[in-house]
Amino acid sequence: MPRLSDSMEEGTVVRWLVADGERVAKGEPLVEIETDKATMTYEADADGLVRHVAREGDTLPIGAVIAHLLLEGETATAPDGTQAQPASRQAERGEDRPTTLPAAVLAAAPERGREAGVRLKASPVARRIAAEHGLDLAALSGSGRDGRIVKADVEAALAARAQPGAEAAAAAAPGNGGSAEAGPSPAAPAPQTTGGNTAPSPAPTPPQPAAAKGEVTLTELTRLQQVVARRMAESRATVPAFTVEASADMEAVIALRERLKELPGVTPSLNDFVLKACALALREQPKVNGAYRDGRFELYGRVNIGVAVAAEDALVVPTVFDADRKSIGQIAREARALAERVRAGTITPPELSGGTFTVSNLGMYGIRSFEAVINPPQAAILAVGAVEQRPAVRDGRIVARHLVDLRLSCDHRILYGAEAAEFLARVVRLLESPLALAL
Amino acid sequence: MTYREALRLALREELARDERVFVMGEEVGVFDGAYKVTAGLLDEFGPDRVRDTPISEEGFVGAGVGAAMLGERPVVEIMTLNFLLVAMDQVVNHAAKIGAMFGGQVRCPLVIRTPNGAGNQLTAQHSQSFDQYFAHVPGLKVVAPATPADAKGLLKSAIRDDDPVLVLENLRIYTEKGEVPLDPEHLTPIGRARVARQGRDLTIVAHSYAVVRALAVAEKLARERGLEAEVIDLRSLRPLDMETVAASVAKTNRALCVEEGWPTYGVTAELAARVQHACFDDLDAPVERLGMAEVPLPYAKSLETAALPNEARLERAALATLELVPA
Repeated sequence: MPRLSDSMEEGTVVRWLVADGERVAKGEPLVEIETDKATMTYEADADGLVRHVAREGDTLPIGAVIAHLLLEGETATAPDGTQAQPASRQAERGEDRPTTLPAAVLAAAPERGREAGVRLKASPVARRIAAEHGLDLAALSGSGRDGRIVKADVEAALAARAQPGAEAAAAAAPGNGGSAEAGPSPAAPAPQTTGGNTAPSPAPTPPQPAAAKGEVTLTELTRLQQVVARRMAESRATVPAFTVEASADMEAVIALRERLKELPGVTPSLNDFVLKACALALREQPKVNGAYRDGRFELYGRVNIGVAVAAEDALVVPTVFDADRKSIGQIAREARALAERVRAGTITPPELSGGTFTVSNLGMYGIRSFEAVINPPQAAILAVGAVEQRPAVRDGRIVARHLVDLRLSCDHRILYGAEAAEFLARVVRLLESPLALAL
Repeated sequence: MTYREALRLALREELARDERVFVMGEEVGVFDGAYKVTAGLLDEFGPDRVRDTPISEEGFVGAGVGAAMLGERPVVEIMTLNFLLVAMDQVVNHAAKIGAMFGGQVRCPLVIRTPNGAGNQLTAQHSQSFDQYFAHVPGLKVVAPATPADAKGLLKSAIRDDDPVLVLENLRIYTEKGEVPLDPEHLTPIGRARVARQGRDLTIVAHSYAVVRALAVAEKLARERGLEAEVIDLRSLRPLDMETVAASVAKTNRALCVEEGWPTYGVTAELAARVQHACFDDLDAPVERLGMAEVPLPYAKSLETAALPNEARLERAALATLELVPA
């Protein structure tokens, strides 16, 4: 399992692009791997005959063997299921071996195991009970030593599953990525009468009061969703956040944008103006472009703005690098291209990392104002609402103006109220006098 | 009745029941035995049945082997297990092999009884529990009672067995008291372990004095932490009753094996190997082992206590097996 992003710890084999036993040439797409950030296509390192080790849907730590590439003259190892063994034995002896993916990583390969490289830590009894009940251990976290999944974890998961209305969920649970017509899976429930286990049996349950919620559908999180869940919880749990809020008059930006429409190429969106305004303000206020980390302030030399983009079932934040040094047109083109790639699923991890600040915009939904959750360790995130005509007081008279509500969420460990206010006021001023943005 | 008295009662009953039975060893007669197990037997059964020997373990164990081959039922007392090393050849190369090498035409119904154990500041040479040296040998049976009732029941079974049996007593249990069946036909079967205490959270497998420790620790865990340890008293080391052990581990999913001797290549090593094989799919944690520190036992009381698998160490090992403290 190659490391495809900085924060990647494990990856999921989504799809083999070269069938088991087929030949592949160096540089040809070999396999699609889902990391914590994106699904990526991994290309063959060398010419050779592909022998799959991991199956589609398998989630493996970095360094686990996912396939063997057999060079000319090398013979395939045992048929499917046991191939991991001979290879890893060779690895242990440090002998010459088939070219593997990636070669340097073989040394860390799991030493044995019937599951072809899966080194999920689970006690034997936890494995047995999970298998008897068709429970996917990969979905559990272990409370035993070194994170080992123990019996109590499996029993807790089974108890949770046995909640009323969970039968449908139970049916949907086994395997992530297993196909529906696969028939009885290897983990198919054993007859419930064996073993005398105390685990709840899925015998028909009488209607329970909790059925008020109707049928429950359980969905396993994708890796991306797991990351979002973890980081958002981390943010709320650890970041002392406060918000400052202001409205900006967007009439000048709108007028400028009308003028820019006359030019060829991509016309910047209102959000692109917000990005540019933030970029300039960030350059002026380094602490907003920083992070509180391990008791110190980290201030970043580059202004890289993450743009929150809603993707299918996920939240992805591609980065516009060096936004302070880019023209509004360049920002517009990049932001659009990044959003396209997020939606197409072709975004790559480097494009998703390195952000120093984030802008989230829900204006397109007509949301006037909202509070965004800080993306740790960043110091702040700006929530941008809809640009809409609202009554405003100008020269003592109520007039209709295009206004936008901006709400800045700040980590109070690095940003204090006055600094946050100053930053936001600067953004507002830049938007209301947007000539500087047009450069 | 104490463990010591239960042993004496077993000897008396078997001496009375079967005239082929006789007792011999150093100071078993006039002196009533180094640990007084044979007290009074000389007066009751006379010098033919209760024989003092020279200080010559190899010689009188060999005499026991010969007498057993010729149809007698000798019960040979070795003052402590430590001195049986001197007679190793007689035990391993003769007593254990005769049945097989004579195709069963000659048997060796010899009983050797001797205490193992430490804790009395008898220092490195006289405090040992190398029970596994003997449990290692095909052709021998090895039993190690932990209670007065089993002391009587197992010694009687050993005397009536047609093969050589080593009965491992224990210095510190000699004074332990317990209910003992008075029925002269009540025997404890060799090769059958006992559930000494019911529990659900952890199985502690022990024999001999370690059972006494394990029970004390189990009570403490229940009292202070609400943890219920099941304690298995092996009673026999060879043959080993894995059925009882496995049934317990299948219930608790965690096993701690304890012995008074050195654990390396020890009884607990054998147990751990068998448990992981018999109970692989039942295990929720690695099988843990505890034994004496791997040193010749020191004389100083504090060091002696620290080296032995004392109750504090045993409690910690139990908690480690339950993953409640670091291993």
